[in-house]
Amino acid sequence: MSLIIHTEIPTSKRATMHLRGRLDAATFGAFDEAAQALLQDLADGGTLVLDLASLEYISSAGLRSFAKARKGMRERNGHTLVLNPQPQVRKVFDIVKAVPVKEVFASVGELDAYLDVIQRQLTQATEE
Amino acid sequence: MAWRSVASRLALWLLAGSVLVLVVVGAALFARTRAQILKHAHGEATALSRAAADRIEARLGRVAAATQLLATLAGSGTRDAEALLRDSLKANADIAGLAIAPAPTGDRPLAAAPFVSRLAGGTLQERDLAGDATHYWEQYWFLGGLACGQGCWQRPFLSRSRHRLLVNYSVAVQRDGRASGVVNADVTLEWLQNILDTLHTPAGAYTFVLGSDGRYLAHARAGLVGVAGSPGLLQAMARQDGAPVRLADAPGGPVWIYPSPIRGTFWSLGLVMPEARIYADVRQLFLAGLTLGLLALLGITLITVVTLRRTLAPLGVLAHRAEHVARGELDFDLPATDRRDEIGRLTGAFDQMRHQLAAHLRQLTEATREQQRLASELEIAHQIQTALLPKEHYLDAHCANFELHAALRPARAVGGDLYSYFMLDERRFCLLVGDVSDKGIPAALFMARTITLAKALAPRSQSPEELLRLLNQELCRNNDGCMFVTLLCGVLDTLDGTLALASAGHEPPALCGGDSVRLLEFETGPAVGLDEEASYPVHQLTLRPGDTLLLYTDGITEASDRTQAMFGMQRLLDSLLAPPLPHSAAGYTGRLLADVDRFVDGASQADDITVLALSWLHLQPGRHSPVLTMEVRNTLPDVFDAIARCDRSLYRAGVSETMRSDVQLVLEEMMVNIVQHAYPDERQGTIGVQLQMDSGAIVVELHSDGVPFDPTRAPSPALTGDVADREEVGGLGIHLVRAMVSEMDYSHDAGGNHLRLHFPNEQDVTIA
Repeated sequence: MSLIIHTEIPTSKRATMHLRGRLDAATFGAFDEAAQALLQDLADGGTLVLDLASLEYISSAGLRSFAKARKGMRERNGHTLVLNPQPQVRKVFDIVKAVPVKEVFASVGELDAYLDVIQRQLTQATEE
Repeated sequence: MAWRSVASRLALWLLAGSVLVLVVVGAALFARTRAQILKHAHGEATALSRAAADRIEARLGRVAAATQLLATLAGSGTRDAEALLRDSLKANADIAGLAIAPAPTGDRPLAAAPFVSRLAGGTLQERDLAGDATHYWEQYWFLGGLACGQGCWQRPFLSRSRHRLLVNYSVAVQRDGRASGVVNADVTLEWLQNILDTLHTPAGAYTFVLGSDGRYLAHARAGLVGVAGSPGLLQAMARQDGAPVRLADAPGGPVWIYPSPIRGTFWSLGLVMPEARIYADVRQLFLAGLTLGLLALLGITLITVVTLRRTLAPLGVLAHRAEHVARGELDFDLPATDRRDEIGRLTGAFDQMRHQLAAHLRQLTEATREQQRLASELEIAHQIQTALLPKEHYLDAHCANFELHAALRPARAVGGDLYSYFMLDERRFCLLVGDVSDKGIPAALFMARTITLAKALAPRSQSPEELLRLLNQELCRNNDGCMFVTLLCGVLDTLDGTLALASAGHEPPALCGGDSVRLLEFETGPAVGLDEEASYPVHQLTLRPGDTLLLYTDGITEASDRTQAMFGMQRLLDSLLAPPLPHSAAGYTGRLLADVDRFVDGASQADDITVLALSWLHLQPGRHSPVLTMEVRNTLPDVFDAIARCDRSLYRAGVSETMRSDVQLVLEEMMVNIVQHAYPDERQGTIGVQLQMDSGAIVVELHSDGVPFDPTRAPSPALTGDVADREEVGGLGIHLVRAMVSEMDYSHDAGGNHLRLHFPNEQDVTIA
């Protein structure tokens, strides 16, 4: 089984990558390409959501690609949030402490609530 | 106690000897003196006796001469006979009366017979005998006198008229050739007594004069005059040679009698000397001498005892001290002495001796203590060495595929032989038999070093030849003593019975299978510890069920009996082959050792003996056989293909998805790393994958024929909590693998890299 990537960019502020299958040494190249393309389209301060609900497996090669994408977003003052990682992926993330816990969300609802809070903070900061 | 001292005994013996000498010499002297004294006494007494006899003879001679003259005159017809008689009587005081008696004719005398006698007052009286009532011619003195032409002494008689003892001397008057009368003189005997009384006889001695009739004429004891002498006396006096006679039965003890005959008469004079008187002086002298001698001896003895005791006193002290020494007490004072004699030398030598003895005792005590300490240390060393060896019997409890039995008998408390065995991992079993050069403590220490290093190096080496190579490198280091050890090392695959053997100059093992036995002669490397560059060829074989491999040291083949004959290889093979064949590993070792014991027959064991038997039973084939074994090329697609196949196998085996994910992750990380690092320059290679399962536990082996690559040595990455923080890109995979597996072993040998990964049992994971 290989990796299937599906991207959504509803606004220039927010993009979502749906990963399905395996992110390993054989497939990380495809992810890197897709992530690179997506980052071009995102504005500064945007948010990249990685929807891992269908990602069955990740290895260190996948972690490296993930780290690369996260670094790219950080350069654009953006955030990379992880949505709904499955047990194997969560285990690997836990072992290498891949992402801060507050940036991992179990459902779309949690994610939206978090994003709303951030949005408000940003709006208030702008108004002030 | 005093008699036990040398001084006292010496003095006693001296005294006894001196007394003996004194008594013997004294007795000899006494005997000689006695003889001298006796001779002297004889001479003196004989002279005295003779002198007395001579005096008596002289006086009697005068009387006899006067009487004979008268007889001559009377024969010539003198006229005035009476006047002659008077003159003669006046001239000779010894004559008491004189008579001229003519012989009668018929019964009457022819002439007058004048008789002049001296009265008590000294006046002379005359009368005529012819007128007497008693006829004189009938008297004995007259009749005897007629026969005496030369004169003879008659028997003494007691004159009744004059009350005195008288003796007649009668001479016949010769006229015309015949006896015409007799001149008779009455001789008094008082003077005889006087002579005896005035003799200077020695004290106790006395004299007597014995008449012809055996009666005393005179005697020093006047009362005995007229008494007859004892028969013994008479017999002694009868001897005419004048020699002294000893009269033993005299009253009052033995006496000596010195007789002297009085010539002209039949009388004799005797001097009687009691023997006791003769010897009285000499006995007294002798007793005095003896007393003085004894006193002197006593004095000498006292001086000797005192001197000896004073001289030998240090000897007593030495003897006393010697008893101290005998009791082990060496600390005491010795008498100070500056003498140079034997005692002084003895004291000096004794003092030196006890000092040396004390020093020697101290040394001995120390040596004994040291020896005890050594013995105790040796005993502890023996225990430690025994603890280094695994137990004698090992039955693979896991699969019961093989059984091992070993025995080690050191020739001394500790030895240089060794055996060891241990599981390298869950599948491979390593065994080792060795013999260190030399014996005793150095060998034991080297043995300890070898056995400890072997255990430490085994996980890194994984194969016998590699283990020997590493062991050799380690033991060559700082091996200035040039000690070495011959080793036979084997690694047994406990699943299929394949056995890899490598030998470092050790005796070839014997393989007993069925009813045959053969030595496994294969190429060996040098003994371990000699050549740092040495390598050890490996010999592969597969044990068949029932095979027993026997490893031993030269203590078996070189075991010698009393004639120095060796047990040898042939006896070893014969012992293993002799029916009935043993049916256990212990049976082989037990029989071989029993045969060796029987052969040496009590001769002392010269070398350590070790024997190890490994029996391959193969009771549970296949239980541990791999789930999956494959070989893939060193490309990523092949790698992922292999991972997928493994996953399918695990899935079929009913392994949970979580575990399968873990295995996939670990395999990916490791194999991708192997592909990237073990094969530089894009070289072609093969990666072997072996997947095993044992009651839920999964073991994966990865064998790659590339360059050495040890992922286990990779450092742990720094984890910040955000992968985006990391600068470096590597290290995460190894970290993940370490988190997933329970055990990870790496080794490298001629075949390349060998990685062995153990996954924890699923139940354990669930619980965790």
